[in-house]
Amino acid sequence: MSDASYLSLEKLTLAYGDSVAVANLDLNIRKGELIALLGPSGCGKTTTMRAIAGLLPVKSGHVRLDGADITRVPANKRAVGLMFQSYALFPHLSVYENVGFGLKLKGMRGTELDTKVKSGLKSVGLSDFANRKPAELSGGQQQRVALARSMVMEPKVLLLDEPLSNLDARLRLEMRTELQRVQKETGVTMIFVTHDQAEALALADRIVVMKSGKIEQIGSPEDIYNRPTSSFVADFVGFENIFPLENGKMKTSAGLIDLSGHLSSGAPSAAGLAWRPRMVTLGTGPFQGTVRGTSFAGDSREYLLDSAFGPIKAEVEASRPTHALGDALVFDLPAEKAAPLSRFV
Amino acid sequence: MTARSLFIPITLLLVIAFLIGPFLIIVAASFSAGETLAFPPQGFSLRWIAKVFTVESFRASFGMSLFLAIGGTAAALVLGIPASYALSRYKLPGAEIVRTVVSAPIIVPGIIVGLALLRYIVVPFQVGITLALFLAHTALVLPYAVRVVSASLDNLRSDIEEAAVLLGSSRLGAFFRVVMPNIRGGIMSAFILGFVTSFNQVPVSLFLSGPGVRTLPVDMIAYMEIVFDPSVAALSSLLAFLSIGIVFIAERFLGFSRYV
Amino acid sequence: MFQNRAEALALALPAAIFAATVFLVPVVILLSDGFRAPAGGWTISAYTDFFSNPLNQAVFLRTLRLGALVTIASAVIGYAAAFAIVSLEPGAKGKVTGLVVLPLMISPVARTYAWIVILGRTGIVNQAFQALGITEAPLRILFSETAIFIGLLQLFLPLMIISLISALENMPKDAIPAARVLGANWFQVFWKVVLPLTKEGLVIGGTLVFTGSLTAYITPAILGGSKVLMLETLLYQQVAVSNNFVAASVIAFILIVMSFAANILLKRVATARNKQRSPQ
Repeated sequence: MSDASYLSLEKLTLAYGDSVAVANLDLNIRKGELIALLGPSGCGKTTTMRAIAGLLPVKSGHVRLDGADITRVPANKRAVGLMFQSYALFPHLSVYENVGFGLKLKGMRGTELDTKVKSGLKSVGLSDFANRKPAELSGGQQQRVALARSMVMEPKVLLLDEPLSNLDARLRLEMRTELQRVQKETGVTMIFVTHDQAEALALADRIVVMKSGKIEQIGSPEDIYNRPTSSFVADFVGFENIFPLENGKMKTSAGLIDLSGHLSSGAPSAAGLAWRPRMVTLGTGPFQGTVRGTSFAGDSREYLLDSAFGPIKAEVEASRPTHALGDALVFDLPAEKAAPLSRFV
Repeated sequence: MTARSLFIPITLLLVIAFLIGPFLIIVAASFSAGETLAFPPQGFSLRWIAKVFTVESFRASFGMSLFLAIGGTAAALVLGIPASYALSRYKLPGAEIVRTVVSAPIIVPGIIVGLALLRYIVVPFQVGITLALFLAHTALVLPYAVRVVSASLDNLRSDIEEAAVLLGSSRLGAFFRVVMPNIRGGIMSAFILGFVTSFNQVPVSLFLSGPGVRTLPVDMIAYMEIVFDPSVAALSSLLAFLSIGIVFIAERFLGFSRYV
Repeated sequence: MFQNRAEALALALPAAIFAATVFLVPVVILLSDGFRAPAGGWTISAYTDFFSNPLNQAVFLRTLRLGALVTIASAVIGYAAAFAIVSLEPGAKGKVTGLVVLPLMISPVARTYAWIVILGRTGIVNQAFQALGITEAPLRILFSETAIFIGLLQLFLPLMIISLISALENMPKDAIPAARVLGANWFQVFWKVVLPLTKEGLVIGGTLVFTGSLTAYITPAILGGSKVLMLETLLYQQVAVSNNFVAASVIAFILIVMSFAANILLKRVATARNKQRSPQ
């Protein structure tokens, strides 16, 4: 086992009945890494997570963890923890009993059990809530119980299903910090599933973007945010102006169009180019557009332009002079700023 | 405005008098000192209440009804809990067929169930009367057991079982550790509903009752066709207070009405 | 959702097999008896025989008539009662609902038996009528359709009331005030607003009451006696007195068809309403 493949998925194929949800997936995860599986609903991210946990039988391929093939190891013997989106706390048990549930099944009793449960509760700041029932806790507290319940088992991998999606903005930040702290303190390998790119970017060491049961791109948050390699990823992380490329020219409904500036190295062979609204230059440039919509967003102002090659979304600083609906404008899509896409779908 | 404000109490008074009144009259009649059933009761005595306990056939049929209500309901739960679990937690092939088959006895009139069982199970297979009644009452209670237990399973998240498994429990262990404790109220409610249904059931038992083996309500009907004394009234009152008591306690401790 | 089919079947089959052998198969055989020709093959002559007998016709019509009358009466009384109950304070509402539901817990034998005391020759009603000089001789109320009607109504009214209570509670709170503001009188409010919005509850309650009345045995047995028969008591007589199993099968089939028809009607109306709702 190399350090780079503490957990590895090899040619993993997963299916519900006859419908294949994940096909031939390969993924290697390092020990102690914090990985995000990112994608829209139905992309196979949750299915993959359930297969790692052992909750879904593997159709073909292998799951290896810490040097052992666990493909056929039942879920209750895997040393894999899962924090459910709904938290899945046992409603009839107290917070204390919830956290001690797995330890008791391991045969732990007496002071050893008590010490472990108490330190687990302490680590998530819930020592005073040991005797409460889950229904008597807030959503954020319930989630921390779920985290403690998983972590006291000292899992080799902790899976988290949409860990921030049920929380309001303030609690999100709190939980995000909490997860990073736990990860740092324990060094546990974490994989979390999310459909929210902001959540993935903020939390993960590495992001795996999935689409239709396949991996679309793997990279650091910076890679994913700045250098999407496919039109799907570009669209998913907020590049709103995406065009295919042909022979170094942009292919639009108005024909092939030359771009100003120079394409960065390697880009001429790209299949497409993508610009964030912020990358579009307004007021100068070779292209003509008409303002079709405008909205104020605090620091910036967004414009929707009609152009010969379709709608263009641009975002400029709010301090710049404003344009009214119907105004004719020139704009530029600077080639050197564009993200080159190797795949266009 | 006055017309409307009078409408509510008068309507309620009349409806409740119609629904509860007859029962109160029966209760009053059972304290009568007279020889025949009448209202207003002639004098006051406990003789008819006392007599209920001395009628041999009442004692036997009460025992039979109790056995059927407890045994039949327990059997229906033993069959119904796994079936409800399969229906609520699995992608069961033919789920609708299973659901229809197990809940069909509720739609078909009891007298037909009893007759069919008599003709095509009891007679051809030489099944004893007690066993036949037991099978019939189990089939009768099964739909209620499945309905109430399914409802309480559907109200329980299924991911807690997965959570238990990931914490080291077996699937069966997860059922007993985290499912059962959370549907206990539903199971108790199903038991009480099944008990009351079975105990009060007449048509299913009509054809299946044989010489000396009868359920209590069938026995009461037979008795009142011959004797017109207040003992059936006394017995009815006692039974009614018994069921009301059980249901009242169930509501207090289980929130029975949530499940029914 | 667990995926394992073998496990699912192992859990569900015992109950399904039990219900099929103890209940479904015998009932299906019983129902087929009425279509079997004595010489082999199939025939509906048992049905033509059954319906050509004026006594049977009368019983059939009486069963339908009583079912319909009890359903209509329980709907009318049920709406009044449910309206009154939902307008109560929450605490009082719970208690009154409890009183309405209470009779359902009491043995139908006991509930029906009470009417003998009330409607009998020396019962309360006759005593009162004679004391008030309305009648001289005691009226024969017991062992009549009227007695069965009263008994069935008392038996099944609670089901209608609780169906209507939940329908009224699920009605949008502003519907009635909105209609009043728009100028509807109380009759129009009921007919154009309340009735359409509570139709589902009315149909559920109506089906329960109608099928309950059709298939009740105790009430017609005790309050109708051996002369005023309904289909259930006729079935019992055919078996217990005449040993006529073919006629019993015919009656059973008719009862089941009527119950199923009512159930299907219930589902049809409920789904028709959901379809109307979905485009929102």
